[in-house]
Amino acid sequence: MEIHPLILQSGGSLVAILALYGLARWLGLGGSPSLKDTDLLAAVADEVDTGFTIEQAAVDRGGASALVKHADGRIMVIKRHGNRYAGRILDKGAKVREEVDAIVVDCGEARFGTVRLSIENPASWADTINRL
Amino acid sequence: MPDFSPTQYAVPLFVAAVLAEMVWARFRRPEAYEPMDTLVSLAFGLGSTVAGALFGGFALYLFIATYEYRLFDFGPEWWSVWWAWPVCFVLDDLKYYWVHRAGHRIRWMWASHVNHHSSQHYNLSTALRQSWTGAFTFGFLFAIPLVLLGFHPAMIAICGGFNLIYQFWIHTEAIDRMPRWFEAVMNTPSHHRVHHATNPRYLDRNYAGVFIVWDKMFGTFEPETNEETIRYGIVKQLGSFNLLWSVFHEWIGMLADIWRSPWKHKLSYLLREPGWTHDGSRETSDMIRERWRKNIGQSAKPNSVAPRNPIAGQGEAA
Repeated sequence: MEIHPLILQSGGSLVAILALYGLARWLGLGGSPSLKDTDLLAAVADEVDTGFTIEQAAVDRGGASALVKHADGRIMVIKRHGNRYAGRILDKGAKVREEVDAIVVDCGEARFGTVRLSIENPASWADTINRL
Repeated sequence: MPDFSPTQYAVPLFVAAVLAEMVWARFRRPEAYEPMDTLVSLAFGLGSTVAGALFGGFALYLFIATYEYRLFDFGPEWWSVWWAWPVCFVLDDLKYYWVHRAGHRIRWMWASHVNHHSSQHYNLSTALRQSWTGAFTFGFLFAIPLVLLGFHPAMIAICGGFNLIYQFWIHTEAIDRMPRWFEAVMNTPSHHRVHHATNPRYLDRNYAGVFIVWDKMFGTFEPETNEETIRYGIVKQLGSFNLLWSVFHEWIGMLADIWRSPWKHKLSYLLREPGWTHDGSRETSDMIRERWRKNIGQSAKPNSVAPRNPIAGQGEAA
């Protein structure tokens, strides 16, 4: 049976891709920077929204996510994405669910996903988000 | 007619180079790679090859048909006209500059090209993060003038292949600056880092493929500065490693905007720059830069690639 060259090439490429992915994991590439680093937190907030300065912040105990508030009242949720961070400014479409010592924030974008934050005063932040 | 695809032959080189950069990252900068990001980028590359084979036929047909109306004829053995090759390469690179610029400034084109920019990393695997949907834009029309000039479509394709191969090695943070003369003329890792950056000062700059002179000529050149850390990706980072979402998110967003907008604005959502809205609810790159300029000087912090990278050269920027 003759295999089409495109299928053969694609199969070979797929094997190489999976091998490189496995190698990246095996080499321990990536890492988990923590948002407890205030410089990093400020940089990420500025990346999400140029000029966003943090007036108040609640960083997840594991350092993987955060809620930050601007002086003008805007709230941003930040989550770890791989070994980088991504965030969204919350609006009235945001939903928040309270757990025992944490809140789960849904910015309204299904593909961005929910962000769980184990933080101090979760109820206070939930209340603030609900009042947006 | 020569049947030759330089990019196919370069694939083993690409794999070996990514592997080598990973080993470099292991010892110098482990954070330069993220396994899931690498997996997605490489899957983009594979999908792009398949999509090109499936959907590239229309462009090829159009080029062959247009070639019949060429202004100049290099003869039946056009490939033996040696000087036509470098001329075609340079003109194809000029074409690349403009198609690339359109890819950033026209949302229809950006919907496809954004795939190449949606990684928050900048390494050799990012170079292979190529679009699946290029055939559904009008980028191929930019090559029509070259065909009309008499360059055979196969010659243009081969030159374009070498252009892409050149661009592979510049997707790295392992090299800081090349020698001054090289930085002045050629596209380099430094120049292309600027292109992939989301820092306001760098947005929509350095569109060059091989020769950076086009950006200098057409007013879109921005040198890399040591004043601030480069951030890579897109203005609104995806925050997802879902491959299909990564491929189609901007198409979905654009079509949703067209669907929701008043009739008189629908075409603008297709043809105006990314971020444009009829109600001003989002920002274009120019608006973000303008806002940043108003705040400039508040948070500049020296942290370039060079101090973080022990093997980077000490050359001076052009």
